Amino acid sequence: MLRFLTRRTLGATVTLLIIAVVTFFLFFAVPGDPARLFCGKICTPESLIQVRHNLGLDQPIFVQFVQWLSGIFVGRDYPAYGHCPAPCLGYSFVNKEPVFDAIIDRMPVTISLTIGAAIIFLLFGVSMGVIAALRQGKPLDKIASVSSLIGASVQIYFIGTLAVYFLVFQWHILERPQYVPFTENPLEWASGLLLPWIVLAVIFTANYTRMTRSTMVEQLSEDFVRTARAKGMSQRTVVLRFALRGTLIPIVTIFGLDVSTLIGGAIITETTFSLQGIGRLSIKAVVDSDLPMLMATVLVAAGAIVVFNVIVDALYAVIDPRVRLS
Amino acid sequence: MSTRTRSALAVLAICTLTLSACAKGNAGGGNTAGGTAAPSPTNLTELFAPPKISIGTADDSKGPAIPPEGVVKGGTVTMIDRDDYPHLDPGRVYDNVTANFHLMISRVLTGYKRIAKGEYKVVGDLATDAGTASDGGKTWTFTLKDGVKWQTGEPITSADVKWSVERLFASYITEGPAYVQQWLTSEDYKKDYQGPYDGKELSNIETPDDKTVVFKFKEPHADASYAFAMTGYSIVPKAKDTKEKYDKEPVASGPYIIAKHVLDKSMDLERNPNWDPATDPIRGAWPDKWHLEFGYQSLQATDRLLAQAGDDKKTFTFYTRVAPERTRQVLQDPALKDRILRQPSPFGGYYYFNMDRVKDVKIRQAIAYAWPTQQIQTVNGGPDVTVISTTILNPSVAGWQDYDVFGFKQHPQGDIAKAKELLAQSSNPHPTIVYGYNNTPTQQREVVAIKNQMQKIGVNIVAKPMDTNTWYDQTGKVDNGLDMYWGGWGADWPTANTVFPVLFGPVTDGGYNQSHLRDPAITAEIKRIQALPDADQANQAWAALDKKIMETITPLVPALNDVGLQIRGSLVGGAEVDPISWVISPNTIFVKNS
Repeated sequence: MLRFLTRRTLGATVTLLIIAVVTFFLFFAVPGDPARLFCGKICTPESLIQVRHNLGLDQPIFVQFVQWLSGIFVGRDYPAYGHCPAPCLGYSFVNKEPVFDAIIDRMPVTISLTIGAAIIFLLFGVSMGVIAALRQGKPLDKIASVSSLIGASVQIYFIGTLAVYFLVFQWHILERPQYVPFTENPLEWASGLLLPWIVLAVIFTANYTRMTRSTMVEQLSEDFVRTARAKGMSQRTVVLRFALRGTLIPIVTIFGLDVSTLIGGAIITETTFSLQGIGRLSIKAVVDSDLPMLMATVLVAAGAIVVFNVIVDALYAVIDPRVRLS
Repeated sequence: MSTRTRSALAVLAICTLTLSACAKGNAGGGNTAGGTAAPSPTNLTELFAPPKISIGTADDSKGPAIPPEGVVKGGTVTMIDRDDYPHLDPGRVYDNVTANFHLMISRVLTGYKRIAKGEYKVVGDLATDAGTASDGGKTWTFTLKDGVKWQTGEPITSADVKWSVERLFASYITEGPAYVQQWLTSEDYKKDYQGPYDGKELSNIETPDDKTVVFKFKEPHADASYAFAMTGYSIVPKAKDTKEKYDKEPVASGPYIIAKHVLDKSMDLERNPNWDPATDPIRGAWPDKWHLEFGYQSLQATDRLLAQAGDDKKTFTFYTRVAPERTRQVLQDPALKDRILRQPSPFGGYYYFNMDRVKDVKIRQAIAYAWPTQQIQTVNGGPDVTVISTTILNPSVAGWQDYDVFGFKQHPQGDIAKAKELLAQSSNPHPTIVYGYNNTPTQQREVVAIKNQMQKIGVNIVAKPMDTNTWYDQTGKVDNGLDMYWGGWGADWPTANTVFPVLFGPVTDGGYNQSHLRDPAITAEIKRIQALPDADQANQAWAALDKKIMETITPLVPALNDVGLQIRGSLVGGAEVDPISWVISPNTIFVKNS
């Protein structure tokens, strides 16, 4: 297992490095001059040169990349702001805030959003899928299929906006979405995020329901399930110990991908509910041509996917011992 | 299509909308995209009379500010908007939204005092008056008021004023205005002087005593009172200037201090105990506390203000416009009538002719006569959210005079007969015009209207969609390959001195002379008016030049003027969209009891 994890971690590091290189160089391939954004309304050519110098954009791109990369491991010195300790992701072009601080500041919002939603959509999605598989062709199966179809069809910005309008502003059933740190007030943390969790769950549950149902139907027709039933095991034991275990492999795969995508930045959800997480930070970085912030948010998103892929691979081995043997 | 693919597409859609909004000014644009409001019987042009702006006296410069009707002192008001402020160092501020915020923490030599709705005077803020000109307008003297202090209790001195202007020459300040620096030195002012941090001073800013500061410009500048009212010329304490770090730790001279700031999320302001209202004719500072929240898109802010649950009755927004999806509801609901605020933009928008390519004035004038003003207005949401503009100067600019050479109001559907007549006399009766446009949904619909209309007079429009991200970079090039394109400009203060010298100044890449007008007579006239020492005389001359340029050269077609539509909580009093900055000023805001 240790060898497996070491190999995957090394692979992940290389992947992140490639992503960093591609993102960095793509930024400069896009037409437009980021320095222009910071050069006032009447921007003389001399001022533009000064801005490029202030932002460090007057260096060759390769030098800029090496400086940025080395800052992550050994820190960097900025004439204007002093030493930026490792891991130094630079200073934002826009508000001159250390990028690392911004990421640390926003991460709890995104993680809170992800954890709550993930618990809901995993539990509901798998439960509904199991029930639908066990009640094939019956009303419960049809209800699960239709509701998952609806969930898969709607968009977050559509259902989210409607939900806020009616549930919060018109009917006053739920609180206005906001982020209160868990450590400050756990109850307000949950109530402030409940609506985004529900909306995300509505969207994501559909995939889990459909995936669980179809895999469970396959599993229930397998020889080992038939054997278990022939041996007189209860329906509960057959479903939970045998059929569900086989169903979990694809579920774990998409769960890992979904959670990592959300941690990388639930851009639309955060925008719809005015939550200041990594997603909002990344879209602002794109709009502002804020290279250091853009690099950081891309790395967070890529890092989340890479890390969760490793976790998912490790979980395969736990769920299915044959993976370990191979 | 997978969830992730759908998400990616939605992000692209959001980005496109965001960028298109940004591309039409920095106050969030008007309610244009997809606006579907029904035509209003109200004549907005008559309803929104241009503001009256004049120079005030020393008496006008005395505090306290004139209280708005029904004012209540105390309480906490909440303000919600999309973005946090990019700079807390006032020297780095140029945009109207950040400048509006700085009214609460920063003070300048001069400023705009609200006398009544639509009536303003330029008065002394820290100074005892709006400044005294001598030497034919080359020398300007300001005397500081007694009792003006920093939040630390230290007095604000003339040395602070001199330092504040000198520091704007430093290499790290690139974002703010450049007028005063250029007037003191030259166009390329950063080469002449590199700031005060190495001990060097500007000899033409004199401080004969702690209260007096004298600016000696190279040329006369009748508008110095206006220029010094810009937030970029706010005073910074010499003893507390931390260069780049000052952007994070400003020292307040205004009525509030920043008690807490969570970047991009929120800011809390509390009273500055060392601000004396008796010294301040501009800021009422009625609420005890301000709570500012950031991160709200237009729709979210609108819905929150419409619902006004609990304390949201005491909530408003400085600049977020009513979302286009709610425009109809907001305008038609009688219950909301008292809570809405409307004000036409003080900025100018133009469809420029590239005079390097469209050289025949008769062709330019034919297009102007045939211009489909009404169709474009419909595309942009109708007369509820736009007004027809006929002049180069915006009506909010001092001295503006109305005229309508091409009948944009008389013939909003275009004067086809007159246009055909002019084209017949021109060098090319069937010209082809390459029209570059910002590739947004609204602009796409505008292009259809323009193309159809121009076909009627025999002008072939070749429409060239352009990327929103690089729109200004592309149209700003001298050799841009286009015959016509939209561009915007906002006066830095409400006189034409920051309009004509810019719009018809040097033709350079990235410059603002987008019509590429190179007329020695016009340039000479601009220079002559700039040198006039009397502001009123200059204003009259600018207005005459406005009409002359349109009548004789026609370098552009004036675009529609967006009307900002905002909504406030019912317990927010004194909310008024400032006709100069086009955002709600904090100076008159108060919290009602009920």
